[in-house]
Amino acid sequence: MASIGFDFPAPQADASVDELRREVRSFLDEEARQGGFVPLADCWCAGIDPGFSRKLGARGWIGVTWPRRYGGRELSALHRYVITEELLAAGAPVHAHWIADRQSGPLILATASEAVKNTVLPEIAAGRCFVALGFSEPGAGSDLASVRTRAQRVAGGWTLSGTKLWSSGAQSCQYMTVLARTSERDPQQRHAGLTQFLVPLDSVGVSVSGIRDMSGVEHFNETHFEDVFVPDELVLGAVGDGWQQITNELALERSGPERFLSSFIVLEKVLQAHAGSMSPQQARVAGGIIARLRGLRAMSLGVAALLGQGRSPDVEAALVKDLGTRFEQDICERLREFGPLRMQQGDGDALQDLQVDSMLRAPSFTLRGGTNEILKGIIARGMGLR
Amino acid sequence: MDETDRIVLDTAERLFSECCDAELVNRAGDGEVPGALMKAVLESGLPLAWVAEEAGGVGGSLALGFNLIRQTGGFALPVPLAETLVANLLLGQAGLALGEGWTGLAYDGGSLPVAADGRVSGVVEGACGVVEAELLVVPVLRDGAVAIAGFEPEAVTARHYRNPAGEARTKLVFDEAVPLCLSAPLTAMSESGLYQFCALVRAAQIAGALDKIVALTVGYVKERQQFGRPLAKFQAIQHKVAEIAGEAALSGASVEQAVRLLSAHGQPFADDPALFRALATAKLLASEAAGPVAREAHQAHGAMGFSFEYPLQQYSRRVWSWREEFGSEFYWSSQLGMAVACGISSGATAKVWDFVSP
Repeated sequence: MASIGFDFPAPQADASVDELRREVRSFLDEEARQGGFVPLADCWCAGIDPGFSRKLGARGWIGVTWPRRYGGRELSALHRYVITEELLAAGAPVHAHWIADRQSGPLILATASEAVKNTVLPEIAAGRCFVALGFSEPGAGSDLASVRTRAQRVAGGWTLSGTKLWSSGAQSCQYMTVLARTSERDPQQRHAGLTQFLVPLDSVGVSVSGIRDMSGVEHFNETHFEDVFVPDELVLGAVGDGWQQITNELALERSGPERFLSSFIVLEKVLQAHAGSMSPQQARVAGGIIARLRGLRAMSLGVAALLGQGRSPDVEAALVKDLGTRFEQDICERLREFGPLRMQQGDGDALQDLQVDSMLRAPSFTLRGGTNEILKGIIARGMGLR
Repeated sequence: MDETDRIVLDTAERLFSECCDAELVNRAGDGEVPGALMKAVLESGLPLAWVAEEAGGVGGSLALGFNLIRQTGGFALPVPLAETLVANLLLGQAGLALGEGWTGLAYDGGSLPVAADGRVSGVVEGACGVVEAELLVVPVLRDGAVAIAGFEPEAVTARHYRNPAGEARTKLVFDEAVPLCLSAPLTAMSESGLYQFCALVRAAQIAGALDKIVALTVGYVKERQQFGRPLAKFQAIQHKVAEIAGEAALSGASVEQAVRLLSAHGQPFADDPALFRALATAKLLASEAAGPVAREAHQAHGAMGFSFEYPLQQYSRRVWSWREEFGSEFYWSSQLGMAVACGISSGATAKVWDFVSP
C-alpha cells in the first residue's frame, strides 16, 4: 500500500507565546480604537502603510526569528506565526513589510554576503526597508523556469535586462529579489542557469509602474530593468542556484496563515453585525466556516512545527495553500447568505464595502505564490503519481 | 503518546493485518461472525486500553485510544472495538466492575433513558456492539445528572438492524428494566460532553477510513493502465487525488487537534466551550469530507470500485454511515454557528477570532 501519511505535528508552545499574543492583541485593539488603521480585506496584499510597518518594527515584531546581530530576536517560528495571524485576523495594513519578513529576509540570511546582511536585515526588522518579489514576467507566470530577464557578466558585477510583472507593493519597496537567467537555456535542464539578485530599486535603469487591479487598487507593478548594473556582492547565493533557492523560499511562502485568513476580517465583521439576529441557515454557514478555519489552522501550525524542526514540508505546505486559498474564496461566497452585495465599494455601508472588496480581490487568492494547479502537481508528485 | 503507546499501536497494526482482510470484512457484513478475529482482539487486551492498570487494564492515554480507534477505521474492522473501549471507559469513570468480554454501548446521542427507584425506562435507537455483548453499558439520567448503568443483554428488549455499511445496530427498549449495576450521578460527566466525545470517536474512525480510501485510490491509479499509460499520469486524475488527499488530511489534523485538547483538559466528558469547539470541528469536517472523498475515489476506480469484492465499498459505506452517527455536518455546523451567535451577542466572547484561535 502506498504511504500517503502526512504529518501535522503540534507546535511546542510556551508561556512566552501566549504573552506575545496578548501584547499583539492589545496593540491592535488600541490602534483600531484610535483609528491607527482601518481594517481591510486581504490586508497582507492590499494594505500598504509604511508608517504602520515602522510601528511594528519598533515593537520588535518583524524578523523575530533572525539572529540578534541582524536585528532579530531569535524567537521561534511559532512566535512569528502568532504575530502574523493576529495581524491578519485584525485586517491590519501589513503589506509593506510582509514579503521581506516572510521570505526575502530568510533568503538574504541564507544566501547574502555578510556586508549585505549587516546593511539590509536590521533595516527590514526596523520596518524601514521593504522588498518586492521579481519572479513573474510577461512570458513566465506559473512556468517560472522560462524567465527571460538576463544578467550578463561585466567587470565587478552584472548587467540586468528584462521585465518583471505582478510584483506586489514594488512602488513602496527599496529592493527587489530578481530571478534572472545567467546562462543559456538548456532544454534538457530547464531549471539550471538561473540566479537571484538583490536589486536596489533606485538603481539607474530601473522603472516601476503601477498596475490597477480589478478591485481598484494599484498594488502590483510592472518593473523594467534596462542594462541595470548589479555589483557582485548583491548576487544571492551561488550563480546558477536560483531554482533551488526559490523552491526553499516558496515553502515559506505557501503555508502561512495568510493562505486561509485573507477574508477573515470580513467574516469577523459580518458575524459581529448579525450575531443577535442569526437565522438557523446563517448559523450553519457560520459554523461551517469556523470549523474549516480551525482545521486549516491546525494544518498550518503543523507545517510551522515541521519548519521549526528543520524539515522541508513542501508537499504539506502545498496542501495547506491549495485547501486554504480555495476556502478563503469560498468564505466570500458563503457570506452572501447574510445579505446581497449590490453596491460598488464606497457606495454601500462599511460592511458591504468590505464584503464587495473581498469578493473583488478573491480571484487572486488561488493565483499568487503558485496557482492551485501547480500546487496540485506538487502534491501529486509527493504522492508518487508523477 | 509515549513509547508504551507506540508498542500497543504497533501490536494492533500487526494483529489487524494478520487477522482482518477484505474478504473477512465482506463476510462479516453478510452476517458471518468473525470468531477468530474477535478472539484475537479480546486476548490482545486492546479493549482495555482505556482501563486503569489497577483495574487490570492498559492504562493508556486518551491519545492511544483515539489512535487505536482511527486504526480500526483504516481496517474496516468488523468488531465493536471502538464501542467497547468507550463502554469500558465509562464503567471505569463510574467506578463499576468491567465485563469479561465485549461490552455494548447503549448510547446514540439521543435522549438518555431515565433511572428512578432502581429501574430504567427509555429507548435507545442506535445502540452499538449489542450483538456480541456480554454486558451493556447504558448512560442514564439519574436525579437530573448522567449516571452509568450496566445491564445483561437479556434484560432488555432488542431489535437488531444494520447501518448502510452492514454494521450491527440495535434499538433497545427499557421498560422499567432492572440493571445489574447503577452508579451514582457523575459530576464530572455532562450529557453534552458524552455526546461530543462519542462524536470524536466517529470522527477518528472516519479519518482512518478516509486515509485508507486515499491510499486505495493512489494504489489503483498507479496500477491501472488506460490509453497506454497509468491513470496516475493523467493530470485530471492527479488533481482529483490531490484534492481528496487534502480533505483527508484536514480531517486527520482536526481529529489530532481535538485529541490533544481533550488530553490536556483532563476531564474527557466535561461540558467546556473550548472542548466543544475542537470536538465539533473534528466531527463536522470528517462528516463533510466523507461525501466528496468517497465520490472522487469511486470515480477514479471506475466500475472496479463499484464491485462488492473490491474493498473500496467497505470504506465508502462506513464513512457514509458514520457521518450520520453522533451528529452530521449539518448538526454540528448549526451547533457551532449558534455558539458563535450566542457568544458574540451576549458579550461572553469578544471576537469571532476567539472561536478560531485560543
